[in-house]
Parts: sequence; C-alpha cells; structure tokens
Amino acid sequence: MSEPVAEGRRGLPPEAREELHRLRPLYPTARALTLPALHLAQRAWGGWLPEEAILAVAEELQLPAAEVYGVVTFYDLFHEQPVGRHRIRVCTNVPCMLRGSAEVMATLGELLGVEEGEVTADGRCSFVHFECLGACEHAPMMMVDDTYHYDLDRETVRSIVEGLE
Amino acid sequence: MPTVLIDDRTVDVAQGTNLVDAALGIGIQIPHYCYHPRLSVVGQCRMCLVQVEGMPKLQAGCSTQVMKDGMVVRTDTPEVKDAQRAMMEFLLINHPLDCPICDQAGECGLQDYAFKHGVAFSRFHFEDKRTYSGRERIPLGPNVVLNMNRCIQCTRCVRFTQEVSKTGELGFLQRGARAEIGVFPGKELDSDLASNVVDICPVGALTSSRFRFAERVWYLDKKPSLCTGCDVGCNITLEHRRTSIKRYKPRFNPEVNDYWMCDYGRATHERYTRLPRLAVPRLRKEGALSPVSWEEALGALHDRLRTRSSDGAQVFLGSGFSTTEEAYLLAKLADQGGSPHRSVWTARSQPFHIPNLHGGVTGEDASPNRRGAELAGLVPGDGAIDGQRLLAGEGAQDAALLVVADSDFGPPAHDPEVLQRLRKAAFLVVFGWADTPLAQAADLALPVATHAEKDGTFVNVQHRLQRFKRAFPSPGEAMPLTDVLTELLARSAPEWQGLGVAEVFDRMAEEVPAFAGMRFSRIPPTGAPLRGATAEDGRQ
Amino acid sequence: MKAYAEDPVLLRNLGKPEVRTVAGYRAAGGYRALEQALRMQPDEVIEAVKASGLRGRGGAGFPTGMKWGFVPKDAEVQKYLVVNADESEPGTFKDRVLMEHDPHQLIEGSAICCWAVGATVCYIYVRGEYVAPADIVEEAIGDAYREGVLGESVLGSGFRLDMLVHRGAGAYICGEETGLLESLEGKRGQPRVKPPFPALVGAFGKPTVINNVETLACVPHIIERGAEWFKGIGTDERNTGPKLYAVSGHVERPGTYELPIGVTFQELLDACGGVWQGRDLKAFIPGGASAPVLTAADRDVRMDFDSLAKAGSMLGSAAVMVLDETTSMLQVAKRVAKFFNHESCGQCTPCREGTHWLELILQQGTHGIGSHREMDLVGAVCKQIGGNSLCALGDAAAMGVGPIVAKFRDEILAEIAAARPAGHASPLPVLQASH
Repeated sequence: MSEPVAEGRRGLPPEAREELHRLRPLYPTARALTLPALHLAQRAWGGWLPEEAILAVAEELQLPAAEVYGVVTFYDLFHEQPVGRHRIRVCTNVPCMLRGSAEVMATLGELLGVEEGEVTADGRCSFVHFECLGACEHAPMMMVDDTYHYDLDRETVRSIVEGLE
Repeated sequence: MPTVLIDDRTVDVAQGTNLVDAALGIGIQIPHYCYHPRLSVVGQCRMCLVQVEGMPKLQAGCSTQVMKDGMVVRTDTPEVKDAQRAMMEFLLINHPLDCPICDQAGECGLQDYAFKHGVAFSRFHFEDKRTYSGRERIPLGPNVVLNMNRCIQCTRCVRFTQEVSKTGELGFLQRGARAEIGVFPGKELDSDLASNVVDICPVGALTSSRFRFAERVWYLDKKPSLCTGCDVGCNITLEHRRTSIKRYKPRFNPEVNDYWMCDYGRATHERYTRLPRLAVPRLRKEGALSPVSWEEALGALHDRLRTRSSDGAQVFLGSGFSTTEEAYLLAKLADQGGSPHRSVWTARSQPFHIPNLHGGVTGEDASPNRRGAELAGLVPGDGAIDGQRLLAGEGAQDAALLVVADSDFGPPAHDPEVLQRLRKAAFLVVFGWADTPLAQAADLALPVATHAEKDGTFVNVQHRLQRFKRAFPSPGEAMPLTDVLTELLARSAPEWQGLGVAEVFDRMAEEVPAFAGMRFSRIPPTGAPLRGATAEDGRQ
Repeated sequence: MKAYAEDPVLLRNLGKPEVRTVAGYRAAGGYRALEQALRMQPDEVIEAVKASGLRGRGGAGFPTGMKWGFVPKDAEVQKYLVVNADESEPGTFKDRVLMEHDPHQLIEGSAICCWAVGATVCYIYVRGEYVAPADIVEEAIGDAYREGVLGESVLGSGFRLDMLVHRGAGAYICGEETGLLESLEGKRGQPRVKPPFPALVGAFGKPTVINNVETLACVPHIIERGAEWFKGIGTDERNTGPKLYAVSGHVERPGTYELPIGVTFQELLDACGGVWQGRDLKAFIPGGASAPVLTAADRDVRMDFDSLAKAGSMLGSAAVMVLDETTSMLQVAKRVAKFFNHESCGQCTPCREGTHWLELILQQGTHGIGSHREMDLVGAVCKQIGGNSLCALGDAAAMGVGPIVAKFRDEILAEIAAARPAGHASPLPVLQASH
C-alpha cells in the first residue's frame, strides 16, 4: 500500500496502470474500466478516494473529472472520506435485523469507542451499517475488509475486532 | 408518415417522433422537465406520463416514439392527471418554495406546473425539508450560481455539458434523495457556453450571476433581436425594462444558434451602459464643441459633402456594427461625391462556436455585419483610403471629410494613437450612440440609435441575412442612422426623402445582386441564406 | 404437484471443493452439456430452453428461451451475454452459494447461452461485496481458459468465447438489468428508458442477453436431461424446474433450499425446521424485500410465479424472510423503506422523493408520531410511486412497504402509540388547508 505523498499530485501507481492495460482489450470502451480503475485507485490510496485519486482515474481514462466523481459518489463501496485501515460493514437489513444486527452495531461502538462512520484515533478501524450483504443464512453477519464473518454474537464480534492489526 | 391520435385529434408525424413533440405539433402541451429536444432522452422527471392504448401503465411521452400508424394517446384522463398531481407533489415536498427571493419566479417550471397540474396543499408534515447545507448559493463558475435546494434533479444541465458543449464540467452526484448536481471540487463551469444551463434549468437551481436580482422577470419587455457580439449572429430575445437592457437570451433558430448562445454574447449589452451616451448633435465651432440642432448639424455636413474633390478626399469608414441598410446608404453618400474611399473595419473575434444540428457556427469578426456592410457597397475602390490605412497609417491627412460610423466600431475607437491619426482629416464626422473619445475628437458628432433602437439586417458568417427589430425608441435626440442618411441623400436627390429601412432594403435588393429578389418584409424569421455571395458583389 | 427429481440438481456439487477446477467438475459429470450444445444448432438450444419453460430466476420471471430468441441472428453484429450476479435483493443469497460452490456450472450455462445467441464475450457482473465468490469464479474462468473450455476454441469446436468477471461497487440498482449495463459501461448505475430493450440495444449499444446466475445454472441440466425432464418438475408448465429458496429470518435452519418450484410455503418452512424457538408465524415475505408481505394465513401458498402472483405477492428472487409472532412490523416496514430510499438511484421523481417520504413517515412512527392519517398517507405515496417510476425499483418500494402497513395497520398504530413519549397524548393536529 502506497503512502500518501505530501507534495505534488500522484497518478495511478504503475501496477494499477498495468492491470488496466491488461483489461483494456476485453472491453470495447475505455470508460468501461471506470469501476476497475476506481477499485485499483482505492486500494492504492489506502481504502478511500481523495480528489487526486479521482483525478488520476479521470486522466487515465480520459474522462471528465465530474463524471468520474459522479460514479464515485453513486456506489457505496467507494469512499470520499478517509476510512480506517480496516473497514467494517455490518448488514442491518431485515434478515440480519431480525437476528440481532443492532447488537452487533452496539458492540462495535463499545469496542471501538467511536460512532458509526468515524475512524478510531489510531486509524485502525471504522464501521458502518450496510444494506443486505447477501449472506442472510448466517445472520447477523458483517464484512471486514474483503471477508465475510458469519453468525455473529457479542463474543465473535469481540474476537474478530481484537484480531485486527 | 405515421398518423397518431392524441386526445381525439389526428396528427401526422415523422417516424420516431416522441409524443411530447407530436402533441406540441397540434398545440397540446404535455408537461415535462427533463426532456429537451437537443438532449438525450432520459425519462426521469415523469411529468410527461400519458396513456397509450394497449399499454397497461402510463408511458413517458418523451421516451415513447411513434413508430407506426394507429397509436392512440390520451393526455387528459383522470389517471394522467393523477400522475401529474403526484409528480408535482413529489417535486414540491422538498422544494424550499422561496419564490419571493428566487430569480426564476415568473418563468419557473415548478410555478407554472404547480398552478396548472398541482394541488394547493401539502401532505408533507415535516418541519425540515431536505436541504443541501452549504450548497444554497455557490458559484459553479463565473456566470452561473447553483442553489441545490431548488433543484429537481432533471439533469438537463449535466447532459448539456456532456452532450452539447462537450465540456463535461457538471456531474450528477450522490444517489437517491441526496442526488445533486455539481462540479468536481476545484473545477469550474466556465466554458463559453456555460450560461445555457441557466436557460435550460426549468427551476431556480441555476441562475445567472449577471442577471441575479437585476429584475423581476414579469417587468421585462421581451423583443426578438440579434446578438452583436460576433458574426455568428445568434438570434436573441432582448429583455429590457423601460429601455434598460437586463439580459439577452438565445432565441431558437435551428439554422444558426439553435437554442444556444455564448456567455460573451450575453454580456455584450453591457456596453450600452458602460459607455456614456451621445445625447445631442455636437458641432465644433471655433475649436469648442457645442450642442446644435439636427438641422444645423445636417446642414454643416451637407455643406461638407458638397465640397469639391480637388479640396481633398471624402472618406467613409463603416464598421461591422453598421446594418446592411446603413452601409448601403453610406455607400450611396460616397457615390454622390464620386468617392472610392469607402470601407468597413472590424476587429477579429475569438472564435466562439455555437453548436447546432448541422455542426454549428463559428464566429470570425468581433462585430455582427462586416459581410453585410461590404455586400451593401462599402468596398474600397483601387488605391482607395481604406480602414486599414486610416487606422494604421496616414490615410486621414488626405481627407477633406472623414465620416466614421460608428463611434464605438471597435477597440481602436478608444486608442489615443488611432484617434490622432483619424484627427488628421480636415473635417471628422462621427456617427454613434456612444460618447467615446472618438466622438469627442470629432468636428461633428451625431447621436444615433443602438441596435436595440432600430430596425435592420445583418449578414452573418454563414452569409445568412437576418432581420432584427427595434425593441424600444432612442433616448433624447438620437435617431436611427438610416433616417439621418436618407435625409442627407435627399438634400441632393429627393427620391431618398422619407424612405424607411424596409424601402432602403428593397431598393438595395433591386440593385445589389447578392440580395436580388428579396424583400425586407419577406425575410424569413430564421433568416435567408445569400447563396454564393462574396464581398466582390458589393464592389460598384 | 409433480414429483421432484431424486437428487439436488443445482446444488449437486455443494460441499465438493474439487469441482472448482475443470478436472474436478468434469469428473462430477460437468461440461457434458456444453459439449452436447456445441453439437447442436444454436436455434435448437434456444428451442430446448423455450420448451423447458425456464423462467428467469432473478426476480421478474421472464421466459428465458424467449429472451434469447429476441437477439438478432445477424452474425456480423457483436453480441454479449451479461451474467447478473449483482445479487442484492434483501434476503437473497442463492447466487452467492452457486458461485462459491459450483463456479463451473455457471460458466457452463453461460457458455451454452453464448453459443445459442452468438455472443462471443460474456461479462459476469458480480456485486462488489462478493469478493470471495468473484475470486472463485475468476479462478475457475482462468482454469477454463487453460483447459480449453474458454478462449480461442471452446472445447475444440472453433467457437471463440471470452469470459470475465466485472466487479460492481455497491448499488442495489445495478441488479436492474439496464442499471447493470450502465454500470458495466463505467457509469452511474441508472436504469435506462425502455424500449429499446437490451436484446437489441444492450451493453455498449449491442444486442445483449442478461441472465441471472441461477437461471444460467439451470441451462446445462436442461440440455443434458432434456426439456421434458425439466418441465416434469414444478407446479405446471408455466412454473417449471428446480428452484433455490433462500430462507432467512426467524427459522431454525436458515439456508439455501433446492426444491421443486411450487412447493408450498409450509413445506418449505418445515424443511427449514419451522419457526425458531417454537414460536408462531406472524408473516413472511416470499420473494425479497420487493415482494408484498403475506401473513400466516397464506402459509399454504405455492411458492411459484403464478401462485404467488395470485396471492397478491410475487416469487421475485425466492428470498423468503420468515417473521415470527414477536416481530415489530413497524420496524420491518421502516427498514424496508429505508432500504429503498438508500438504494433509489435518484434519477426519477417518484422513486427519489417517494421512497424518501416513506422512510420519513415510518421513522417518525418509531418516535411515536403517527395516526390513521399517516397510515393512509403511506398507502397514497405507494400508489403514487407504483407504476409511475422509470424502472421497477419504485414499484418494488411500493410493493415492499405498502402491504406491510396495509396488512398490519392496527398493530403498527399500537406500536406507534406505545412509542409515544409520556405526556404526549397524541400528536398535534396538522391543519389541512382547504382547496
């Protein structure tokens, strides 16, 4: 993961550009690479998309910045604000609500000592509620970074959070 | 052409015509916000829902095309009216209803449709409406201000920058009830065409920073006119209150500017207030300028026009701001004195490009009518003293009489060095609406009408002849230049006596091949192309 | 009810990690259907799918063979298959299970579809949250290229097919097929006006078939075992085949259940071990949050397209949410409204404003404010959204929220009253302006 630089604006890192060049022939338009490019940029910029990251994608794909910005703000998985090193998304839709997602949210608040959407002082974690994550047979559940955690209760939530670097 | 039945009335339309346009063809207005004939069809606002026979649900008129004969459409059923009421209610629940402080009031799609299709009470019982904190009055660029609270998310503006100006400054941001429009942080909506988004915004979300709070729109008198900013010749509506011009708005002409005009052009009326007005005729007597009557002024000029050529040249300098008729009469004046010294001067323009369905029009001159003036006869004879020589060199010193029209013909009219050169003429006559340094340097300064105060024609960069009309009378003693020139001509040749602009044009059309067969009264509203016309046609 | 085939069909490879490779999948009998299809004329494949009566498993239930038949036969034109793996309907998780456990079944079904309609590129649009399932499918695709199942010449037939995973980024509306296409093209996932339909103008302006994961997973079995076999399963000839039911909420054993389409809700509930903790059933939502709620009285309804429609609901994605007697229907209604408000793309007026309004009314209810007037208003707002929105999300919101309030009105009013802060006898009356 690259560190943010203090001066000058960064473009997409070389490995991200390479990946986009690999993907380009698989789509008839460069614009179709917007979502892949934003995923790559978000990874490169530490889990969120500051303005320079959005500009980097717009430049790479030769698209107006406002359009890419519109795409970024449309999707729940793209973030315009800094997030924790670990991003916790708790499903609170009906099936999880019926089986205790409120308790998961409350537990995370207690454990992390921050409100929903805030980043812990050490930058380690942030947590938000989320719409249905598609694992309702294991409700309540949550997603930590790219991993699903199933059949949660206070204790499992505690041990998962404690296991985060 | 397929036939469609709308509210029991038949209309033939081209295949693929949408129902909003088809209905408009027979005078039925299907309300709509997001649809615009020059933007992609998105079917978002849902105001144009109509009933189409055979369809289970109401259909959006904008996205329903007439493909074959026999479509039966109703725009007036209870279901349609319910849907219109529903959309109005939805659009208004979060609208600030700040009409008293909104520039759009009086020309607002929400006001109009609420009146026509809405209900007068609200079922939205919440103290707080949705607001966009900090986005109530933010400049998107130099000429456009956004108030997001008033936006109805029709995205016309976004599509305009994507599809018409192709500059892409605006984006549709966020999602759902938080959806908004905006620029990328730190970027501006600053293209030449930016202010068109104000015109196409159906509500008060986008307003013009120039026109903001300048006038309530219901006080404005609106007159069809032409922009004088360059030789694209955008058709405009000139909007004024008691002769004070408040704004120009583009007037639809599919052959020229379509629905659009540029921001530079919109501001050009400001010249009429930026410069002081020349109010009365002024004659230099014993070195000092004195106000004189028109009678005395014209007498003095007539005397000068009758001096012999052996005393020096008579030089006539028209400008790209002269109407075709004015240029024609000025050329006639030169003819009377047998002078070949006649020309048009204009500055070059930034190449403003106005898109239309044929690819668009790009301007060349910083004035509207260099071509018309040349066609009308303001073309120098061989070796004549022309505008170039006058402004750059020593041409004026050979002139017994130098007539300039007009006092604000371009930046050189304000350049002291140029003035010094022109001043070398034995007698300097300046026509103009503005009291510029040039007018002050003149021996005879004659107040004439602005383009808002007269009738006439311009020939644009496409060689399209376009007619414009007087919006309001001149103040004080200013007169239309054509009236002044016919009066002068009549002093030697009585047949010019009392000719109006139309008669001058018609006489010119009989004489000048480029205008052959044309009549002033029959110039079409969208103008008439002058086929194959060049400046050579104006050479006598 | 016709008899169900002996063993699971779609879930036959559940719990067999070895089928994630081409070799393992072949060993389990896989790719025989693709071989067979490649020996058939494309039209024969389409006819077989038509004959099977297969209807789309994503939510709308459109006949799959018919959809394929709409694609122009012109060989010159580029065509696409886009797999809708943007499974986001609350309560739905069957496609995740299919991708995680049997990715080659999806690849095989997709390849057969591509052969049938002449598509040479297949995009599998997986919701961004499904990182692991997308990785598994991507790996399987890589193996399929290496083994000659995909690429230059599919199984040596000379048919060229490229397939790749395209990851979404978190937006329910991208499950709407034209919203998905917009998203695939790199834009905001805002549904398009229809017509034109994707079969003619789809991805990148080209003819496109968009099918759900489960729909495509059915295809190899139809080819291999025959349309008649497929039709033999289910309620009647309009409701055929095996079906995955994703059961969640207040049941003993939530999970993905493969049963003949048309099993009754009670039978399904029994398969899941019944309502949890020995409680009684209050209600169930049979087809995801978009489906109108049904009450305990409806427990014998057949879980197929037409029976549920007749009962005033819909099969949708067959995501069955079971609500026990203790459930707060106010909370459920509010949560469903919140979901649709959050997920509305914002382009069309009724959905953008209406879903927002619905959430506000119901949220207010949880603070103890609300009366018959608000309940009526929920109904009125739903009616104003329904049928008027640009895409089906507006309708879904109206169907998801309206019936909960309509059917549990008194119960919800009692909940509102109970939530009213002490000292507030009733909310202040709001003066109604006269017309």
